[in-house]
Amino acid sequence: MSDLFTSPTGDWTAVSPRLATARRLIGVSCGGVLLLVGIVVTVLLWWWLGVPIAIVGIVIAAWVWWWAPRNRRSWGYTEGPEDFVVRGGIMFRRLVAVPYGRMQFVDVEAGPVARQFGFATVTLHTASTKTAAGIPGVPIDEANRLRNRLTELGDSGGAGV
Amino acid sequence: MSELPPDDLESPEEPGTPAVPAGAQTEGRRTHPLTALVQGGIWAGLGIVGLFNAFVNGDSFSLFSGVIAVAAAVAGGLLIGLIAGFLRWYFTRYFIDGTELRIESGVIFRTSRRIPYERLQSVDIDEPFLARLVKLSELHMEMAGGGESRSTLRFLPLDESRQLRRVLLARAHGAGADEAVAVAEEQREVITVVGPDRIIIGTLLSLDFLFAVAAIVTLLIVGFAVPDAWAVLGGIIPTGFWLVQIIGSRVIAQWNFTLSRGSRGLRIERGLLSRSSQTIPYERVQGIAVVEPFIWRKLGWQRLSVDIAGYGASADEENGVSDTTLLPISDPPLARAVAEELIAGSDPDSVERTPVSRRSWVFAPIGYRFRWVGASDRTFVAREGWISRHTDLVPHHKTQSVALRQGPLQRWRKVATIEVHTPPGPVNAEGRHLDALVAREIADQQIARAPH
Repeated sequence: MSDLFTSPTGDWTAVSPRLATARRLIGVSCGGVLLLVGIVVTVLLWWWLGVPIAIVGIVIAAWVWWWAPRNRRSWGYTEGPEDFVVRGGIMFRRLVAVPYGRMQFVDVEAGPVARQFGFATVTLHTASTKTAAGIPGVPIDEANRLRNRLTELGDSGGAGV
Repeated sequence: MSELPPDDLESPEEPGTPAVPAGAQTEGRRTHPLTALVQGGIWAGLGIVGLFNAFVNGDSFSLFSGVIAVAAAVAGGLLIGLIAGFLRWYFTRYFIDGTELRIESGVIFRTSRRIPYERLQSVDIDEPFLARLVKLSELHMEMAGGGESRSTLRFLPLDESRQLRRVLLARAHGAGADEAVAVAEEQREVITVVGPDRIIIGTLLSLDFLFAVAAIVTLLIVGFAVPDAWAVLGGIIPTGFWLVQIIGSRVIAQWNFTLSRGSRGLRIERGLLSRSSQTIPYERVQGIAVVEPFIWRKLGWQRLSVDIAGYGASADEENGVSDTTLLPISDPPLARAVAEELIAGSDPDSVERTPVSRRSWVFAPIGYRFRWVGASDRTFVAREGWISRHTDLVPHHKTQSVALRQGPLQRWRKVATIEVHTPPGPVNAEGRHLDALVAREIADQQIARAPH
């Protein structure tokens, strides 16, 4: 990634590679289902409806296959001395820095697929809704460690609203 | 307009008034018995408004069924409101003790809400029109955080509301909870009264008002000039409705807008039919937005709004009247002084400006010249807009977080956007399309300036 989004501490903690695997799996299954539907429609009903559906399915699967590992690599976070910094996104890049004292609470969320793959989304909340600092694909243990650590830092440095 | 003092600037009560309304500490105190009646009246009013909406939206009524519908709406609203109001009054009690205010309410499910004094953000008093006729008022208590951060006691006699507010605010700021000592009304000094004449002129000169009028005139001309175009006249009703809303929210709600200063914060009192009185504690101000609409700017007028934690969520529900307005219309020197009082070192003219990149002209061919960000040692300043000019001021010690963004088009132009985040509200401090490296530098500086 370009110089613009370099880490203030020098390096980024990457998120789990399984995030990409999980996304590829979901993308390929969705694409596969569409492809199957397309084939069935082509064979049994009308080819002019079935072929486009099948093509959409293939395109979705291919795109997710290409996108998932790149997006996974774009995510990173780092614990600076006084603030927590998150970056992410390939097309629309974003870097958010949250001072520890401003953190109101930290959410750890994991859907069924994420649980299966052993990762979770960690979201940092401040009094501003625009902060929206969410990190997908953090391994469960790391996510819990991060939550405890951030909550602790937030309590000790709490500047309130 | 300043010769007549606004009637709601409270006169200090006689010494010896008990600090807490009688009975509030032990067996709890009820709201005023007329609550039911006022509630019934308000619901009947809502019924009529609902009916009017239905009418505007094209449901047709014959004269007879129209009269029946109005009568039904009034009677039904009144009856339901009376019953609901009575039950609520019967089952609601509030208690005041050393550390918190407790409200117990609920007919079937009893709820007991605790409001610890130290978590109080602000205490506001509203007098909806009908309640005002019988000298009743609502007391709103705002706490930090969460969706349900606002508690309301309705309706209380106006004097009792004021007495409660004094007690609550004094205790919120750490005054001893000695119930025997009366809390004196704090000395307040009027900063300015924005007279109705100015509010009216300001509204007449605002662009959306002029658009609404122009739309109505156009509709009228088309409707009468073009044969068989009568149908166009139907568009007048919604446009007229819009016009009424503009007048309602600007002129009537901000009638006799009075800004005064106390030891703990600013107080705003406003309204023609319904009065409201709110307190803005100095330390709760998260940012200020200065808006200079196109025509106003030629006259040197500005509007000031504040960001206060907790208010953003409830700003919409109050009949569209924003309770974040600090000064509806003001001359720049006064606006400057008020802003300086709330956020020191925030003069936009004294900060060093970083203009946006010239390469960003593709995104805003004219506007890019008018965008810049800057920072003094206390405040971050962002300005944009060439039709309506917005200046956002955020004190460094209130910065919640800082973000740097770049989309694909911005990457092509080698620019980036920096955002300084504040709680939800009118302030939206961002520097769009700054030169990418400059943006990163400013973002790093802002992060370093944020509180730690």
